[in-house]
Amino acid sequence: MPKLTLEIVVNGTPTQVESNPEAPLLTVVPIALQQTNNVGQPPDNWELRDSSGNLLDLHAKIESFGFGAGVRLFLNLKAGIGG
Amino acid sequence: MRSAQAVDPAVSVRKFEREIAEFRRLAADYRRRGWYMAEAKFPIVVVVLAAPQVKPTPIVLGVRFDYTDYDYRPPSVRLIDPVTSSPYKAQELPVQLIRAVEVPAQLPPGFQLPPGMELPKAVQHQNLMVNYGAEDIPFLCIAGVREYHDHPGHTGDSWDLHRKTGAGRLVRLLEVINKYAVGPIRGYNVNLLPQVAGYAIGELPG
Repeated sequence: MPKLTLEIVVNGTPTQVESNPEAPLLTVVPIALQQTNNVGQPPDNWELRDSSGNLLDLHAKIESFGFGAGVRLFLNLKAGIGG
Repeated sequence: MRSAQAVDPAVSVRKFEREIAEFRRLAADYRRRGWYMAEAKFPIVVVVLAAPQVKPTPIVLGVRFDYTDYDYRPPSVRLIDPVTSSPYKAQELPVQLIRAVEVPAQLPPGFQLPPGMELPKAVQHQNLMVNYGAEDIPFLCIAGVREYHDHPGHTGDSWDLHRKTGAGRLVRLLEVINKYAVGPIRGYNVNLLPQVAGYAIGELPG
């Protein structure tokens, strides 16, 4: 199956990530973080949303989302513990 | 509390301009989510958040960021009235930023679970906007926010631990505020106060 290029916007900074459609979405997170030098927090502390703001299941296969060419996703650091 | 610029202003301006440029590059995406940049002049950014999932779409609140001394210090973040630009006092907040946190449930004193049985998780509601009185201006109590790191209760969680993680970046902070303030809104709550205003009259007799 051909690779799918995803544009992932990490805390506002876009980067292109090549993905394997049969792999879980989780696999693109560390790559996007590394490419944007966001190495201070583990991938678990991030959440990925589509352009409508819907939270995406990182354990689902990439092909299951039906992303088209030029899809743009948004990866942001979670709130962490407040108080 | 410190407020002056300590780092070379050119550094803060450059980083501020990067935040603004990156937001503007994707402004159409953010607008679809109800985010509108209303003002951007160093060191201040004001973004207005609407709730497009509700029709007619309300403007829920404004967020004012102050990037003075960034990123030697994190940005100041205030929720503001989008019309007057005044920061909301605690009692004026149009929404709360409530997070549902799973915590281990606790048995009452003297009770014990049978062997092999586990307590279900309990859900605790944590308000991310912290204040100490109704007249106070509340602050967003998360790492990456100046008011959080300046608070004496958070001296153990220095900004230096978060500076390189993007915790103080504009889009990240907007995402958190949107998630807890705007995302949960599902519609309008309406109070109706019926008043009897006379009788309904049928066909009048000849």
